Amino acid sequence: MTTIDQKAGVHATTVTKRRELATDVVLLSLDAPKLAQATRPGQYVMAIPPSGEKAATALAVYEAEGKLASLLFFITGKRTRELAQLGSGDRLDVVGPLGNGFDCLQDVRDVAVVAGGVGIASVLLCAQALLRAGARVRLFYGARTAELIVDSQRFADAGCELVVTTDDGSAGERGFVTDALACASKPQLIYACGPSPMLRAVARIAAEFGVRAQLSLEETFGCGIGGCWGCVVPLVQKSAQAPSFPPADAGGSDVVYARICREGPVFWADELRW
Amino acid sequence: MVTAGASLATKLGKLELAYPTLMASGCYGTGEEFAPFADLTKIGAIVLKSVTRLARLGNPTPRIVHTPAGMLNAIGLQNPGLDWYLEREVRKYADRPCKIIGSVAGFSIDDYAYVCERLAARAEIAAIELNVSCPNVASEGETFGCDPDLTAQVVRAARSTTDKPLIVKLSPNVTDICTVARAAETAGANALAVINTVRGMAIDVETWRPRLGNVGGGLSGPAIRPIAVLAVYEVAQAVKIPIVGQGGIENLTDALEFFLAGATAISIGTANFIDPRIPERIVAELHAYLTRRGLAGIDAIVGRANVGFATPYQYEGTEG
Repeated sequence: MTTIDQKAGVHATTVTKRRELATDVVLLSLDAPKLAQATRPGQYVMAIPPSGEKAATALAVYEAEGKLASLLFFITGKRTRELAQLGSGDRLDVVGPLGNGFDCLQDVRDVAVVAGGVGIASVLLCAQALLRAGARVRLFYGARTAELIVDSQRFADAGCELVVTTDDGSAGERGFVTDALACASKPQLIYACGPSPMLRAVARIAAEFGVRAQLSLEETFGCGIGGCWGCVVPLVQKSAQAPSFPPADAGGSDVVYARICREGPVFWADELRW
Repeated sequence: MVTAGASLATKLGKLELAYPTLMASGCYGTGEEFAPFADLTKIGAIVLKSVTRLARLGNPTPRIVHTPAGMLNAIGLQNPGLDWYLEREVRKYADRPCKIIGSVAGFSIDDYAYVCERLAARAEIAAIELNVSCPNVASEGETFGCDPDLTAQVVRAARSTTDKPLIVKLSPNVTDICTVARAAETAGANALAVINTVRGMAIDVETWRPRLGNVGGGLSGPAIRPIAVLAVYEVAQAVKIPIVGQGGIENLTDALEFFLAGATAISIGTANFIDPRIPERIVAELHAYLTRRGLAGIDAIVGRANVGFATPYQYEGTEG
């Protein structure tokens, strides 16, 4: 994946707009020109809690354009609930952009972007970059129910071909998004972000197609910036993303634990040993 | 910029620190990770992640669970092993603008002495912290720190290998921390880090499984602060060597509690996961606090809450 951005920093931003896209799904628009400029597809920020209590929260950067950077997230606990209470004019400090994002290759003509649930937040910039490069982008977007399919028109307007699935059939096809992917014609490359079972299924389908896949992984973070080794995933040693720490011969094993926050969060599916 | 008023300089044995703030082992990487977000010129020292004689993959995931007022971790001493560390890692620390303290973990007395000798020999390393209290490695990790005799043996063995300051990190998971503290002091420790994490566990009630891959882990954060403050208070009265107070320090008030309890320096860990600017903020606020009170430096507040312990006689007296 692409190298770590040296322009990362602590950004003092101001919330310019808060939209509730669905129950417990919030989109915060931030006035954050430096962050917007530095962010590449698939990167995230650590949002510093305004109360100063509890750890910072890792959130994908959804949009990054001009002065605007936005964060799209689901309310899943106390930390996201606190952030969801922010409104226009409120201050929010964020650390970022962080991680190595999607490698939006310039020479692919036909890609599948797969998003499950809140995973949609990580793939807009990726889809936009691929469309700009002239690729055909099919978005396979799955959620539990119709209400949780958020902002899909945005992707359609940008030029994506949409395939929507819901667990209950209330929107699009009934079933898992990976079922739709498996039935589709073979893309050249797959990009995916979503829950772990979905990503494992994407990896399996990619292998059956004989194509490579870039997966954006999620794990509970400690620091979120590479300092604590709390968010690791087993990776084959020969991967270019394998950390130099520990070394290739560590423990006589053929895997190393890479940090999702620093070496990732995006990894090549065929290099994971999970 | 701290230029006038109170001095924030402090000493741990021979180790002179421009600021009384250490970044706790395992919480701050090598400093490189935090450098874009924190001013490393405004911290006293970084305590590196513990290194062992041989490489360790560490524990299975999940390794982190957030809990009320804290965090459980069970990393399991993932590290590249001493040889690689000396060859490829240590030289990177030469250009850090703060002191670098190496952390040594082991599974035998000999391990500690071997790793300590070779790590302490490096010019980049200003002092050594002996991690005799890691709660996250199967059976052996915390054994040393929970036994005064084994602690003394580790410290004595390490002491014989180096003249650099030795800081011994104590476990709170003991019946009497003072006994272990005295054993470390007698064996030649120059300072004590009080405390390491408190053992804990969280269970997922949907899957009926432990939430950490290692089952148990170490609890850090404000949840353990009162435990740590009392430990520092007690240890300060049991030993004469300086104490690095740590456990849930997030702001000036927290830091002051530790100094008043008897700490000569403080260590900041989990708070860096809230906001990487917290250590710099604490230093600035500490300077303002001391200056406002016309105090010359840290020494003026260290251990000032020491009023001894209430005895049964005192209780009887008030009842009478």
